[in-house]
Amino acid sequence: MNQFLQQLVNGLSIGSIYALMAVGYSLVYSIMNFSNFAHGSVIMLGAYFGFFALTLAGLPFALAFFVAACCAAGVAVLLERLAYKPLRDRHAPFLYFIITAMGASIFIDNSVIATIGPTPKTFPSELLPSFLQSGAIRIGHVDVGRIDLAMFAITVVCLVALVLFIDFTRLGKAIQATAYNMKASALMGINPGFVIILVFAIGGALAGVAGVLYGMKYQVFPQMSAITLKSFIAAVFGGLGSLPGAMLGSLLLALIETFVSGYLSTQYRDLFSFIILIAMLVIRPSGIMGKTAEDKA
Amino acid sequence: MEYIQGIAILIGINLIAVLGLSILTGFTGLFSFGHGGFMAIGAYISAIVTARLHLPFALAIVAGAASAGLVSIFIGRLTLKLKGDYFCIATMGFGEAVRVILNNIDYVGGARGWESLPQLTSIWVVLGLDIAAVIVAWNLINSRHGRNMVAVREEELAAQMAGIDVYGHKMIALVVSAAMAGIAGALMANYIQFIRPTMFNMAKSTDLTIMVIFGGLGSISGSIVGTFLLVSLPELFRNFAQWRLVIYGLAVVVIMVGRPKGVMGGFELTPSGVRRSMAARRARLALEAEARALEREGAA
Amino acid sequence: MRAMTIGLLVAALALVGCAGAQKSNTIKIGWFGPETGDSALWGQAELNTVQMMAADYNAQGGIDIGGKKYQLQIVPYDDKGDSTEAVNVAKRLVSQDKVVAVVGAQGSGEAIPVAPIMDEAKVPLVASTATNPKVTVTESGQVHPYVFRACFTDPYQGKVAAYFAYQRLNKRNAAILMTIDDPYSTGLSQYFKESFEQLGGKVVAEVSYTSGEKDFRAPLTKIKAAKPDIIFIPAYYNDVALAAKQARDLGINQMLLGGDGWPSDNLISLAGKALEGCMFINHLDFDGAEAQPMRDEYKAKYGKNAELNSYMVHDALMMVIDAMERAKAFDGPSIQKALETTDIQGITGHIKIGPEHNPVGKDAWLIKIVGPDMKFQEKFSAAS
Repeated sequence: MNQFLQQLVNGLSIGSIYALMAVGYSLVYSIMNFSNFAHGSVIMLGAYFGFFALTLAGLPFALAFFVAACCAAGVAVLLERLAYKPLRDRHAPFLYFIITAMGASIFIDNSVIATIGPTPKTFPSELLPSFLQSGAIRIGHVDVGRIDLAMFAITVVCLVALVLFIDFTRLGKAIQATAYNMKASALMGINPGFVIILVFAIGGALAGVAGVLYGMKYQVFPQMSAITLKSFIAAVFGGLGSLPGAMLGSLLLALIETFVSGYLSTQYRDLFSFIILIAMLVIRPSGIMGKTAEDKA
Repeated sequence: MEYIQGIAILIGINLIAVLGLSILTGFTGLFSFGHGGFMAIGAYISAIVTARLHLPFALAIVAGAASAGLVSIFIGRLTLKLKGDYFCIATMGFGEAVRVILNNIDYVGGARGWESLPQLTSIWVVLGLDIAAVIVAWNLINSRHGRNMVAVREEELAAQMAGIDVYGHKMIALVVSAAMAGIAGALMANYIQFIRPTMFNMAKSTDLTIMVIFGGLGSISGSIVGTFLLVSLPELFRNFAQWRLVIYGLAVVVIMVGRPKGVMGGFELTPSGVRRSMAARRARLALEAEARALEREGAA
Repeated sequence: MRAMTIGLLVAALALVGCAGAQKSNTIKIGWFGPETGDSALWGQAELNTVQMMAADYNAQGGIDIGGKKYQLQIVPYDDKGDSTEAVNVAKRLVSQDKVVAVVGAQGSGEAIPVAPIMDEAKVPLVASTATNPKVTVTESGQVHPYVFRACFTDPYQGKVAAYFAYQRLNKRNAAILMTIDDPYSTGLSQYFKESFEQLGGKVVAEVSYTSGEKDFRAPLTKIKAAKPDIIFIPAYYNDVALAAKQARDLGINQMLLGGDGWPSDNLISLAGKALEGCMFINHLDFDGAEAQPMRDEYKAKYGKNAELNSYMVHDALMMVIDAMERAKAFDGPSIQKALETTDIQGITGHIKIGPEHNPVGKDAWLIKIVGPDMKFQEKFSAAS
């Protein structure tokens, strides 16, 4: 029973990271209707921004966090302006977007490898506030890492803030409207260009936060965008375009993965994730909470 | 000399996979992240046939192609009816799943890899298969099926309404591209004499796609040029190895944003292709001249 | 049109690359390893070392083969830590650059497929840290005539680790955490398990993760439930550092034991306090007297500490040069013959090549992590 609870905690903790990553990705998808495969690279850059803000620039922790989120948001918007907007203006086929995203991702990842280097970096624990240091807290018979608790809390705060923003503010409603029908909302006076920039910025900021958290928990390294494959799967699982879906999908995926690793075999963990993905796509492509079936071809 | 031959063989092997992928991506508009998986199937089947069953190489190649094709039919049934995004992610999942499964099969070496495979891939075999592949691709593209595939790529809904069996044509493209990837995999296995699941991971799939893009979507000679360049250039510019992928990534973005037709610009290096582009050029120049003339008249 | 000109240019450059005559008083020795990629740290350390050594030899007039002095030239290639690339560059080294011998090939994954190529080209390879037995001996038990190594093999390492755990540290229940898709890790763990159980110990848990993984909590939780008194982690320093931190976060406070994938300048800085008091097997003692001269010279020249691979490739190159000096010749077959009877004292201990082209009874050092240092504990010798 203890092992079960411990694995449950493990799963939730990994799930919260996937959730942050998946939500940013899903948000962009809901507006743009395409998968921004470069999202992973933005996450990675966020981690590096945070790392350098903390170590090189010597900023206090909270500020470094904020800087990382802003810079990541900036990169995301830049990507949109330079790579995606020209394609949108030309009404390029959807295929081009994916290829461009892939190219951008390869470019960013390898630029980091070629300049900063492929060796992973760790956030020095002296520079982190005490609630994020290594070490476990015992709750009953289960050990929860201090850093996991903190991260879970930060994730929840971010996601709640996001949902509040989307549902209760005017800008949030503007985003919803544009996601529903870009042309119609443009006719109603909402500037689609502005909304798109906003969405990419928010998505980028979330990515930045996710990156820093991930970097703190594990390490900062250029191949991080590969990890985000899981969050893509989680977003599809929960329903592309749905934010609660992305969160739910992430938690579920992480839990399934953890239990498979823990009780069956670590070897087949990834295989399970893919099988679930394929199964989901076949049975219910819109995911658990996704938009309607009109998204299918 | 042996070294140059080695590079030529590698170009030839990759070319077959790239031609297949070109049919799928360049002509039918489906983006796959998982063709490394089909290459892996071809490679491992060929390894089993030649190293364990001790049967002739020709049989191994056919078996590899057939296996990859069969698996692709299965995958296709599951995923081809999905929207483009989903298909991409599904192929990604497929590629990784193949790798994970192979990692766990000890009979074929598992994650360790399988070495000392018989060396059976000669430059002549590769050349012969390359020519065959080009002929098959050319004929397919210029047939009714090929034109239908392009229609699917351009505007799927309209194609469907025009009565084209969208699903069927996507399936043809997928199966052909998978079989060709399988052949490439078989050739690779019996050339390097060593296979390991990591050799066929997502990086390999993206490499192949980049070769298609460089050459230009929708151009067969483009795929040939793309493969030639992207396999040989890294050899010549070894010093810049670290920047290779940086440049590739940037080039892909620049190409897609600026000139999606790639190096070849969407035209084929054939007499009719050249004639067509000449004619287009003449027409455009004529139009420009006319526009200028009208402008002058208007100003006067 | 454009494409054709590009094609012609490429062909021209390639033909130019074809040339590469050997100057009559230069001996070319090839090296390949991961200059880029995940193991770049080690590849670069090796490359720096061989270039440093060549410069040293040449400054003294070169090496003496049969009375005549020759300059040493290193021909390096990046294998990117990828097997296909390794095969590619190996072929290039033997047929294009026509080197007389090759050192390096630090990863078993890269060395194994290259072995048949070296045999066919009759150019000897001395691997630096490739420890998998299949590097020198094929699955059917045949020895690759042209492949040797400077390091001990995994079966030996596993035996030594088990011996230390059982006899010296008095542990009876071991758990193993390995990288499932890395032959180094699975091989080493298999040999450890065999030896440990032979000695009378019990392996209470054997869990694995795939390479690239950053979260080890699921497998670690399984280990925790099995209540071992020691945990063997035959993996590379990066994974070890992460796993150790996460283990401590889970309340797992047992000692961790490792193999030669651990030693690295970055290990302790990445792991923080998590590895305090833990131990691992190494090929040498970094702080030992034998290593000092090279350690100082490397630091002075490159500004950072030499890595394990530096010392290993140093000995590999020494083996080649020693073989050439004894054979008084530098063609492949002569070097190969001399290598078979190698018996020298390298920085990493006594290297005597046995019938399987591996050093027999090579010293293994048990190192303990104390604070920011790696402190020598005990040396294990002889083939027991």
